[in-house]
Amino acid sequence: MKHIVFTIVALFFLSISANAQEDRWEKWGPTTGLKGGGFIARVGYVLGGTTPIPLPAEIRKVNGFSPRGGISLGIDGYKMFTKRWGVSAGAHFFWEGFHTNADVKNYYVWLEQEGEVTKGYFTGTNVTSTEMWGVTLPLLATFRMSPKWNVSAGPYLSIYFHQTFSGEVFDNDEGIGYLREDKPTGAKILMSRENPTPYPDNFPEKMQPVALGIEIAFDWKAMKHLNVFGLLDWGMTDIWDRNFEAITFKMYPIYATIGAAYRY
Amino acid sequence: MNKASIVALVAMPILLASCIKAEQANTECDIEAVSLHLEDPTNLFYHEYDTIQTVISTENDIVFVIRSYTNIQSVPVTFRITNGATLYVKDDNGVETLFQNGSSIDLSNERVYHFRVVSEDRVWSRDYSLSVVHDIPSEGNLTIDFEKYYLDSSGKYYIWDAPDVFTDGIWKNGNPGFKISKSSAKPMDYPSTPAAGQGPDGSDCLKLETCDTGPFGRMVNMRLASGSMFNGIFNVSLALTDALKATQFGSPFTHKPIQFRVWLRFEPGSFFQDRLGQLVEGVMDEPDAYVVLYRNEDAEGNKIQLDGNDVLSSPHIVALGRLPHYYNEDGTDKLSNAPIHGVTNEWQEFTIPVEYRAEIDAEVLENKGYSLIIGFASSWQGAHFMGAIGSKLYIDNIQLFCE
Repeated sequence: MKHIVFTIVALFFLSISANAQEDRWEKWGPTTGLKGGGFIARVGYVLGGTTPIPLPAEIRKVNGFSPRGGISLGIDGYKMFTKRWGVSAGAHFFWEGFHTNADVKNYYVWLEQEGEVTKGYFTGTNVTSTEMWGVTLPLLATFRMSPKWNVSAGPYLSIYFHQTFSGEVFDNDEGIGYLREDKPTGAKILMSRENPTPYPDNFPEKMQPVALGIEIAFDWKAMKHLNVFGLLDWGMTDIWDRNFEAITFKMYPIYATIGAAYRY
Repeated sequence: MNKASIVALVAMPILLASCIKAEQANTECDIEAVSLHLEDPTNLFYHEYDTIQTVISTENDIVFVIRSYTNIQSVPVTFRITNGATLYVKDDNGVETLFQNGSSIDLSNERVYHFRVVSEDRVWSRDYSLSVVHDIPSEGNLTIDFEKYYLDSSGKYYIWDAPDVFTDGIWKNGNPGFKISKSSAKPMDYPSTPAAGQGPDGSDCLKLETCDTGPFGRMVNMRLASGSMFNGIFNVSLALTDALKATQFGSPFTHKPIQFRVWLRFEPGSFFQDRLGQLVEGVMDEPDAYVVLYRNEDAEGNKIQLDGNDVLSSPHIVALGRLPHYYNEDGTDKLSNAPIHGVTNEWQEFTIPVEYRAEIDAEVLENKGYSLIIGFASSWQGAHFMGAIGSKLYIDNIQLFCE
């Protein structure tokens, strides 16, 4: 984590030192000139995951990770006040998600359905898939690092229209898969991949309908009206309801989008 | 330079995934298996395999059985325990000392040893007892009335005392499995319950009822739990992965049963469903009651224990007595809408003859080479999670007559 933050900060300062010609700033201005505003229509590929930070010690090994969904369509309006500073706000519609397969040890689970509770400590393989459809509304400050490069950062609010969260548990590659009922000394209930145990289907009901986070976006003006961009939405709020006991750690959505945009 | 930042952004989730923390110490503290080491085990034990025991996760009392006229002395004992855990032996004052695996202990005169296993993280521990007891010679004939029952240590469900000749002297059933799926169930909501004062003579009897296993049961396609009662082992660990294997039937028996009598009363549930919960048209649920005698050791000396897969079909079965049912040509159970078991809503005494398929070897019989099963179910296809929720079988006054 520290390395990544350091890299971003270093890139930022390097960019400021770029010594460009004034006419280049004009040429690559919002559309023309140095001030003014416009719109950016974005099409992107979304990639990321919803994860506890840091990973809890119960997670021993990530066997597999693959994105689900991965489409983002958005529009941002922007206004530059000075040569370097401006603001933008927009709406990014997304369909994002992921699938992961991880080995866990002594992972506390608390499953409740229709008043029935199964709880205990699971060791084995845990497979999780989640997908989210929604819209992210960012409100960003924009800084022109160079004639062709913009960086924007600020808070966002995501509103989810539909969320899925499913998964199952079974034995790992060494054939170890079991739940210790209630506590580590409780009955040992074996699990196997021939008859995996799915998560209850009520998990999505326990997900927050909104999320808050920080967005950071890099735009590169490739052509007069075409941007290439990369942005990161880092969720700062737990995806689960506060009283949801099935998962004992907080999970945050962290998704990056790369794509192309039409700039006007 | 800025390409690098995009790469960094995309790589971030992957980097996060690689931040695996150091593995935590184990929290479990089980004795998984115990073996006694003897030069010539069959002098003391009925079977060579009786010197090794796999300890199921819910068991705390480890008991070995030796022939009644023998005595065991000091023998080396080996335990298999959870990785990283530590095993202590407790003296009479409760003082714990580290137990060196494989060291000898004096097990004579049915002395009970107390062991404590402490987990690698030192937070959890389990207490076990270990003893070697003498076989209690049985007279053969059994009379069973299900009058002695009490709540288990968790207070969730009832257990019943069984004749001493049965494994650990307790009747087994699927209640421990039902507990996992239906945490909210009260003791009288379980599939196997006592019915106070409801016996044919006004005494307590046993009631088996096929119950809905609720949302967790549906999740794993185990939508119902037949009420059940049998002698043997119920290994709840296998309830999800291999439910048929969880019910391990039979206890060694040294007599030749010839007739089985029992009082029964049955009310079928109305909706006979398959494993997916779908109605099976034109099928009436049936109860089951049976007695089985089987050879409990194969030619190589390996232990044979019948389970839900083969309790009524194993080639090791030498004698069988069962309520009448229809069968398919291949011998499998045939569902029907007009069963012939004859059990009605009124109490009746049934006499079920025990029919022999093979000659009994008297010497093998005397040396506990056969095991006896007495089994009941409120839904005869309950092992396959088929039946009618609400089917009720009442049982009382069992008599087993032996030669």
